[in-house]
Amino acid sequence: MPRNRGAMTQVDAAGATSTGAAPEVPQVEVTLTVNDTEHHLRLDSRVTLLDALRDHLGLTGAKKGCDQGACGACTVMADGKRVVACLALAAQYEGRRITTIEGLAPNGELHPMQAAFARHDAFQCGYCTPGQIMSAVSLVAEGRAGSEEDIREFMSGNLCRCGAYPNIRAAIRDALAEG
Amino acid sequence: MTTLEAARAVGPGLDRVDAPMKVTGKAHYPNDFGYPGLVHAALVHSTVAAGRIRGIDTSAAETAPGVQAVITHLTAPRLEPGPMTLLGASPPTPFQDDRILHHGQHIAIVVASSPEQARHAASLVRVDYERSEPLLDVHDPRATVVENPWGLDSDRGDVDAGFAAADVVVGGTFTTPDNTNNPLGLMSTVASWNGDSLTVHDSTQWPHNVRATLAAVFKVPESGIRVLAPYVGGGFGAGLRVWPHVILTVLAARQVGKPVKLVLTRPEMFTSVGHRPDSVQQIRIGATRAGDLTAITHEGLSSVAMEDDDYEPVSLCSAVSYACPNVRTQDRQVRLNIPCPGSMRGPAEGQGNFALESALDELAHELGMDPVELRLRNYCEEHPLLGLPWSSKALRDCYLQGAERFGWSRRDPRPGSMRDGRWLVGYGMAGVSYPHYQVPCQARASLHRDGSADVRSAATDIGTGTYTIMTQLSAEQLGLDVSRVHFDLGDSDMPYAPQAGGSGLTSALGNAVGAACRNLIREFLDVVKDDADSPLRGAAPDEVSVSGGRIHRTGAPDQGESYTDILTRHGLEELSADGRSTPPQPDGGGMATAGAFGAKFVEVRVDPDLGLLRVARVVSAIDGGRILNEKTATSQIVGGTVGGIGQAMFEETATDPGTGRIANATFGDYLVAVNADVPDMEVIFVGGPDRATPIGTKGVGEVGLVGVAAAVANAVHHATGRRIRSLPITIDQLL
Repeated sequence: MPRNRGAMTQVDAAGATSTGAAPEVPQVEVTLTVNDTEHHLRLDSRVTLLDALRDHLGLTGAKKGCDQGACGACTVMADGKRVVACLALAAQYEGRRITTIEGLAPNGELHPMQAAFARHDAFQCGYCTPGQIMSAVSLVAEGRAGSEEDIREFMSGNLCRCGAYPNIRAAIRDALAEG
Repeated sequence: MTTLEAARAVGPGLDRVDAPMKVTGKAHYPNDFGYPGLVHAALVHSTVAAGRIRGIDTSAAETAPGVQAVITHLTAPRLEPGPMTLLGASPPTPFQDDRILHHGQHIAIVVASSPEQARHAASLVRVDYERSEPLLDVHDPRATVVENPWGLDSDRGDVDAGFAAADVVVGGTFTTPDNTNNPLGLMSTVASWNGDSLTVHDSTQWPHNVRATLAAVFKVPESGIRVLAPYVGGGFGAGLRVWPHVILTVLAARQVGKPVKLVLTRPEMFTSVGHRPDSVQQIRIGATRAGDLTAITHEGLSSVAMEDDDYEPVSLCSAVSYACPNVRTQDRQVRLNIPCPGSMRGPAEGQGNFALESALDELAHELGMDPVELRLRNYCEEHPLLGLPWSSKALRDCYLQGAERFGWSRRDPRPGSMRDGRWLVGYGMAGVSYPHYQVPCQARASLHRDGSADVRSAATDIGTGTYTIMTQLSAEQLGLDVSRVHFDLGDSDMPYAPQAGGSGLTSALGNAVGAACRNLIREFLDVVKDDADSPLRGAAPDEVSVSGGRIHRTGAPDQGESYTDILTRHGLEELSADGRSTPPQPDGGGMATAGAFGAKFVEVRVDPDLGLLRVARVVSAIDGGRILNEKTATSQIVGGTVGGIGQAMFEETATDPGTGRIANATFGDYLVAVNADVPDMEVIFVGGPDRATPIGTKGVGEVGLVGVAAAVANAVHHATGRRIRSLPITIDQLL
């Protein structure tokens, strides 16, 4: 497996990139429970849920593909329901339980949907993949993956520019069959 | 050459080696990296398409919260031009004068402590323009026209005589719009200076090009620059060049003395990183009643930026695809006030093939001849311009096996004759002859005492499967299990690799990796050449085979030993070797180096009352030479087909004709194919190893896209009797 490498550090969970905004920027206190861990954050009120996860909590699995709620790459779950994190302000999610791709399965293990995506080559560049998987897991949980037509329709909010759609459907069918 | 006994490493369906990283969110793309003290940049863009900046007021931005720098052409230092590259001249170095050449041109970069602060401050920059009337239309008589931009215009035989001899002549004007690459990954740069040395994370398809360009622009040694791109969120050509925003991020980092991150916005992705330019094409094809082509003329007209270049020989496909004695192809480019076009998956071929393969369908219809039969009748066994046999060409098998798999024989040729309930059903097909492209490449292979191997090269895997297929290829070449091989890429400190582009990387890199592995085996044989304890003593490379982590004399598996035994006995931790590949020379081998070939068969459904168009089935038959991994290669073809469906039915970058502003620069407005638009597909690979290189591969990154638009349009004609010569095919054209 390729390794991440180099002298660089990933954005650290202490929020190394937030350098204390000037006082005139309104700040908000937010408590988010992310992947079963509670975080207390003091944020610029404009910070989206996506940027809070990525820039302030170091959870870079959710991706920014449009920042306009149109591509689904930032899909995470809030209290078990899908949200596009780029269209949500972090402050709106005070006290909510957020699940990201990093929290889908215990470290070192794969959720059945993750394993199915790997098996079916349901991605190429991989950038949309965390969002696709979060949507797919939600779809199954919501009971909306009952037919091929439903899968096609309900997965259409997650763009894949590499064009892995047939394999994404195959992975979801396979994960469903595994129960 | 060393004999390879265990070929199981290569071929069917190994899962991607990077799959665990990608499905868990642990794969780090350029915008996932940060540094302590990282600050954030945002860009300011021109709101006019032509003119000059008379004044630029940055005072409000400079005093906004968190702002650390605002850089404009007034404050930027003089920077050097980027170098000439394989892709031509570099894009113009930004911020060197006050001129505006297109709407959306970067005119300031703002650096602040947070992205929110940078974006807000960027909105406070006020600009006073001296406006000029922009040139925005390829037909504008005031625009500069560049004739024969690449010296690739062709003229063989006598086309006038060819048309005079024709019984049937078809053709017309075909148009394709601007399309935008739009990889899902927002292209991003993170730059960190440490004295004169620089580390850059960039969404590039070519790390060495970024390094060379930054070294030239900032006048620092290449050796001090490291460019990293272990994962890139797609590219489709957008990451081939070093665009101005990369240079601006590096400049900003130097100016503020801190690491800087810039993440392009989706609207900026339409104006900053290239696009497939529009085309207006005139094509005429003449043929005898029996279906023999007598003449083809194909003229392409494309747009290009005022002061930048783009390789887009749209008409060239008509010169090299069929056996026709009289062919003339011509290309022109028109300089306009637009963001610079650049390669987008299947550049030139994607546009030109639409005209050529649509016109051939018209011809087949006029002749009352089956479209597959027409193509077989005019099949070229030799490269029409070089007069040499191809290094491989299984296009005939593409046609025949693709037609068989699709059920083409069930096609009733009469337009509008096939129905499924309320839906009109159409079958269409198209052929593809993709050009060959290969440039030099290097790789390094190391074998360690524990029997594992490291192989590396500064290539990129933009979703193409490069990590995986090079792991497999290395395993095969060294006789190791794939689990014992670690292939690494995406780092300019590694041996030189060219771009992931032109469908050329697999052959360039594969042959470099193959050479490195062969040289490594030679190193081992050199170590034991006088070793009385070695069963391989004195063996030459062509006398040995590799398998199971061992080298042994060919035909005598007992007479050999493991890599580990050799290293251990000689007190070595590892052995390494470099390898390089160079492109095959056409004349040298007496053959024309071939790219991939393909045949696309598409079934569409058209609702005649509502104008709805749906792609119901696609069969792609592809000659991609030797296929290293059927799973990832199939994904390349399927993905290309999805891009082709987008080109055929959805994608059109709309530029406002008055202002030059792109009016649909979001994913809400610029439509791409979504899950529900894409049917399940069949891909079959035909042919075998290509003769031009030892590895025998041909690239398959682009052949999947090309031909889809024509096949869809031809299927629409079959379903409805309407010949659509303008992409994308939209409801209004079908009502």
